[in-house]
Amino acid sequence: MHNQFYSLRNFLKLSVLMLMLAAFAAPVAAQSVRPPGNAVNLDDGIEDGPSNALGDVSDTEFWDNFRGGNPSELFAPAPEGQVMTTTGQQWRMIREKFIRKYLGWAPVIVIGLLAVFYLVRGPMKITAGRSGKTLPRFTLSARVAHWFMAGVFIILGLTGMIILLGRVVIAPYLGLEANSVLTSAAMQGHNLFGPIFIFALIWLFIKFVRGNFFQWIDLKWIFKLGGFFGGHVSSRQFNFGEKTWFWMVILGGIVISVTGVIMLFPGLVEDVRWLQLSTILHALGAVALIAVAFGHIYVGTIGMEGSIDSMLKGEVDENWAKEHHDLWYEEVTGKSAKEEETP
Amino acid sequence: MSFLNLVEGPLFTFAAAVFVLGALWRLIGIIRIGRAKDISPPKASAAAGFIKGNLRHFFPRGIFAKRTMVHIIGGYGFHLGLFMLVFFGVYHIDFLNERILGFSWPALPRWAFLLTSAVAFSGLITLWVRRISDPVMQLISDKDDHIGSWLTFLVMLSGCFALEQAHDSLRGVHMLLVDIWLIYFPFSRLMHSFTFFLSRGQSGMTYGRKGKVR
Repeated sequence: MHNQFYSLRNFLKLSVLMLMLAAFAAPVAAQSVRPPGNAVNLDDGIEDGPSNALGDVSDTEFWDNFRGGNPSELFAPAPEGQVMTTTGQQWRMIREKFIRKYLGWAPVIVIGLLAVFYLVRGPMKITAGRSGKTLPRFTLSARVAHWFMAGVFIILGLTGMIILLGRVVIAPYLGLEANSVLTSAAMQGHNLFGPIFIFALIWLFIKFVRGNFFQWIDLKWIFKLGGFFGGHVSSRQFNFGEKTWFWMVILGGIVISVTGVIMLFPGLVEDVRWLQLSTILHALGAVALIAVAFGHIYVGTIGMEGSIDSMLKGEVDENWAKEHHDLWYEEVTGKSAKEEETP
Repeated sequence: MSFLNLVEGPLFTFAAAVFVLGALWRLIGIIRIGRAKDISPPKASAAAGFIKGNLRHFFPRGIFAKRTMVHIIGGYGFHLGLFMLVFFGVYHIDFLNERILGFSWPALPRWAFLLTSAVAFSGLITLWVRRISDPVMQLISDKDDHIGSWLTFLVMLSGCFALEQAHDSLRGVHMLLVDIWLIYFPFSRLMHSFTFFLSRGQSGMTYGRKGKVR
């Protein structure tokens, strides 16, 4: 066992020295990749055995020096004796062992929870039924801004998931070639639609920020769990859940946008760790938004009767408004949400 | 024959022929309808009205401009963007040069191509989401409108997907969609690309003759 270990180490040392020799032989490579300052010529005692190939430097010292490239100077020549950085290995481990392995499950788990909730709780009906009278809720430009963001979000979500998880989800089933084609397409689409997302985010912010600031009344919504498990919850134009989703999109969108720009233009940062951090934050932020988006879609469609009207027609049924946004109803109509209307 | 050769070769030739002949057939058909003879004495020039009617419609009147600003910006962004992409994208110029025209012209630099693509995509998406969000637009839209929008979107998207030029299959899918688009074009509202000046001109001519175009 000891002999095996010993010979493996010698083999590694010899490999490193041969790589250095190859680097010397290639003029171009020799300019950017240099052997450590303490490297010795292969002729130096190699025929007599490996006893002093590294001079007086210990293995630990040798490898520390070899891997000690400064990640903050990505585009600068490596200092003498320092060849590579190790942050890339740490980044790769995070990406392979955590992000690719577990992150993709987040949207699946959310979909599963929503399915269970739907089966147990069912859709939230308008208790009093539809009144037949409607209230304007969102302007046309607000609805266009919303659907514009939705469209861009779906394209970026799909292409991003292919880029992130293609190798572990697509390749094993459809093959490497298919994965390569899909990833190439997804990459181009993602890069082109990325800047459009920034535009969509600004547009969405301008159109929806009013009414989305948190208020004390939101605490009631939290204590009553949004009324999803029964009971009435008062709220203004937007309830706590909607406000939280809005700020998640805005703040998460900013993180995704900034990190996306860094990845699109890597020359913007000097330190490679910013790039590595960007890929991680980009993936985390995006998957979180995708996962929560399913909840948003659920409540906006099959989860709550009458919700979708606000974004398709711009109007909601008065009884829907009384039940879910009573304070907003009173504000825009000047009538009490509790009073029964006389025919 | 490979898939790419098929969609860039015989199928493209067929689609282009359908496009040209179909569009000509439609245009000639519209022009041949003619118009009823107007025996009233003209108060102003009908020809000038034709031109004014066309130019005037490029700029909506104040109140409409305010109410349809999103539509206007989206519309101009999409149409001008698509024009620039089709005729000044380097891959399109190369294709036209090698397959049809035999000459080329300066192309957009890559950064401008990508920027133009973003503008064109934004415009098209805006136009379509407005179509499904506006109750009036919902009522006056039919399958043809949606198919035309989506087909155009898919042609653009598949072109975007093929930008890396690394896989023939992606280019093939783009060209297949282009072929379908060319065949669909003459028989759909996509023809408005060629007929808009006739309808605007007709209105302009009628009102011009009456001295109503300002």
